[in-house]
Amino acid sequence: MRRGAGIAFLAIVLTWATWAWGGEKKEVRIWHTETEPQSVAAFQQIINDFEKLHADITVKQEALAWGDLEAKLTAALAAGAPPDASHGQAVTCASFYAKGLLRDQEDIAAAIGRDNIWEAVRRQCLHDGKYYGIPHSAATSLLIYRKDVFRQKGLKPPETWDEFIKVAEAMMERDASGRVTRYGLSLPGVGLFINIAVGELTKANGGRLFDLKTGRPTFTEKQVVEVLDFYKKLSATVLPPGWLGHGYLDTFANLATGKAAMLYQGYGRGTGYIEKYSPKEMADPEHFGVMVKPHGPSGKETAAQIDAEPWMIFKNARHPEEAAAFLKFFFKEENYIKYLHTVPIHLLPTLKSVRVNPAYQANETVRKWKEWQDMQYRYFETAQAKPTLIVEWDDLRLPFGLEILGSGIVPDMVTDAVKGMPSAQAAAKAQARAEELITKLGHKRW
Amino acid sequence: MPGPPDLRLQAVVPPEASSQAGAAPGGMRLYSQATRAGATRPGRHQQFVGLLTIAPALILILSLILYPVAYSIWLSLLEKHSFFPQQRFIGLENYVYLWGDEEFWTSLWLGVVYSFWTILFQILLGVAAALILNESFVGRGLVRGIVLFPYMIPTIVAVILWKWLLNDTYGVVNYWLLALGIVRDPISWLGTDEIMLSTIVMSIWQFFPFVLLSILARLQTIPEELYEAAKVDGASALRRFTHVTLPQIRGILFVVILLRSIWMFTKFDTVWLMGEGAGAGRYIRTLPVYAYMRTLTYYQAGLGAALAVIMFAILIVSTVLYFGLFREEADIG
Repeated sequence: MRRGAGIAFLAIVLTWATWAWGGEKKEVRIWHTETEPQSVAAFQQIINDFEKLHADITVKQEALAWGDLEAKLTAALAAGAPPDASHGQAVTCASFYAKGLLRDQEDIAAAIGRDNIWEAVRRQCLHDGKYYGIPHSAATSLLIYRKDVFRQKGLKPPETWDEFIKVAEAMMERDASGRVTRYGLSLPGVGLFINIAVGELTKANGGRLFDLKTGRPTFTEKQVVEVLDFYKKLSATVLPPGWLGHGYLDTFANLATGKAAMLYQGYGRGTGYIEKYSPKEMADPEHFGVMVKPHGPSGKETAAQIDAEPWMIFKNARHPEEAAAFLKFFFKEENYIKYLHTVPIHLLPTLKSVRVNPAYQANETVRKWKEWQDMQYRYFETAQAKPTLIVEWDDLRLPFGLEILGSGIVPDMVTDAVKGMPSAQAAAKAQARAEELITKLGHKRW
Repeated sequence: MPGPPDLRLQAVVPPEASSQAGAAPGGMRLYSQATRAGATRPGRHQQFVGLLTIAPALILILSLILYPVAYSIWLSLLEKHSFFPQQRFIGLENYVYLWGDEEFWTSLWLGVVYSFWTILFQILLGVAAALILNESFVGRGLVRGIVLFPYMIPTIVAVILWKWLLNDTYGVVNYWLLALGIVRDPISWLGTDEIMLSTIVMSIWQFFPFVLLSILARLQTIPEELYEAAKVDGASALRRFTHVTLPQIRGILFVVILLRSIWMFTKFDTVWLMGEGAGAGRYIRTLPVYAYMRTLTYYQAGLGAALAVIMFAILIVSTVLYFGLFREEADIG
């Protein structure tokens, strides 16, 4: 009798466990870099709507700081537990593609219309004719300035780096004792942002960071050395002395609170910070404008950085197909517009149809800060914007961009120069380190 | 003045052990010698049962401590990408590389500077605060609770708080320094020249309560009679400290210094969050940060592991030396 009861109990437990196991929802993990509360909330709304249509899937979002993403992603990959889908830099996507880690997104491209993806950002993660990443949105870096001060001083937009320094110096302010109360410029000293700046400054100086044929770094070329000279001059004249310790948000705080007159590495999301932290009577495009970035002594035209992280789907994640299904849902116009409107001046649409959609255009912030949006469109349409560390699109074929980005070699090069090392020497030191790293990674082709 | 009797050790030595060992005011060593001398050799069955009982602990130690260490040593002999499943045995090449790597030596030096100054001031501040908090005064309980606050808050919160305080354009510290006319221009506490100092100060603030707590616990067990006897002998406050307090706390100080040295030398979170390894953070790129960067930003797991093994070796050698130099304190501790 007791034996029979025991067997029956065991059978019930096993049946329940089997049912529970079989009936468990598929959990799709999504990592992204839109950490602002309203973006997280809108993304969650899209998730909720998706889950209503897919009862067997649950989606978990995790919003990560931009600067932390690459390290966290690679740590997760090393641990064998990557998220199902994630944002990433274009160089990250290129590196992961080269290592065979990504699922292609041809089906997602087909669902949203291949031709509907904006040409300016198509190549963010397009390899061998296939999409391995479709940008969640598009943006470029911006030169933001205090328009009121600029006008008051009767200044003209600078075209070259030397003119830019003069303008920044003119916008500085000192008190009666000679102490600086407003610096001419604020720059972030964080590794990722120095990488970004060196990439776009090199492009604006007509240079390159890598030889495309061999992949050999070209840090000792004149155009890169001149970038370091520019950093030295900025540091000695118009930047706060402690700028290498400033984070990205510190620079916006400096601008919004009047401690700095310009940001070279500003972004559209800055409008939100300005509206939030500047004095009310100043929080408008009449006081904070954008202008075309200058070019270097060896360059002829300007350059900016594209901030448009492609979505990546990891082949070896637990639920890549479900992640793809979610992304198709995400890009549906009614959902996508909700997401874009959370940071309207920064999250420009990847899809051409959305850009002309009246529902997208019907946004107060877009209308108010149109000048900022137009400047980004200008960079895109003139092909003057490229992703981090990328000077020409073909640089994305180099498989070691991620490692160079993470290594700190480029920020160290700038730090060395700013701290007094001759620019050519700092460049040579970084060149040797980069060559050694590329060799150790097995990518040496020179 | 004769040294005070060690009440704690006398208390743990059973009377029968004391008598077997010659009734000396001894310690655990005499006790264990006596126990060994008087005991009979256990039978095979007893040995088996003994082994069986310690097996879970042994398995835990092997799997949680020895395996990761052994695996790190193995990894350090490989050229291995951090997440790409490709590896090549290269023997000691990673160590040879690090020997000639300027970044490694700089990181080692920065780590030593950071550890030395943080430990020194944690101990000084911790002991001083413990002595004060061992005295009676109104509100002592409240103050005891408050001083533990830095140790209880999460590191990320502490770092954000300090970065905010020290910011050179809107930080409170600079505001007051300027307002009081102490400085003419704001100090770049988080810039390249001062970031090490700021990180050291922040770490002292964050971790001295551990020293305080440990020392205070020991101070509370020192018999009041010792101080009374010293007072009767005419000992000044300083002599009471050097002749009564210090000998009583040296055992716990030995342990605290050892633990804090290990923890500060391997401290990662505080240092990383203060500088993130680049820009001004390069000037606090200590060995743990460099090991992290090699592993997860350069993606060279082999080199990262080699750095971890070197740190481990440095700590082992330092600990052995420390035990050798302070043998007496080690026995007490």
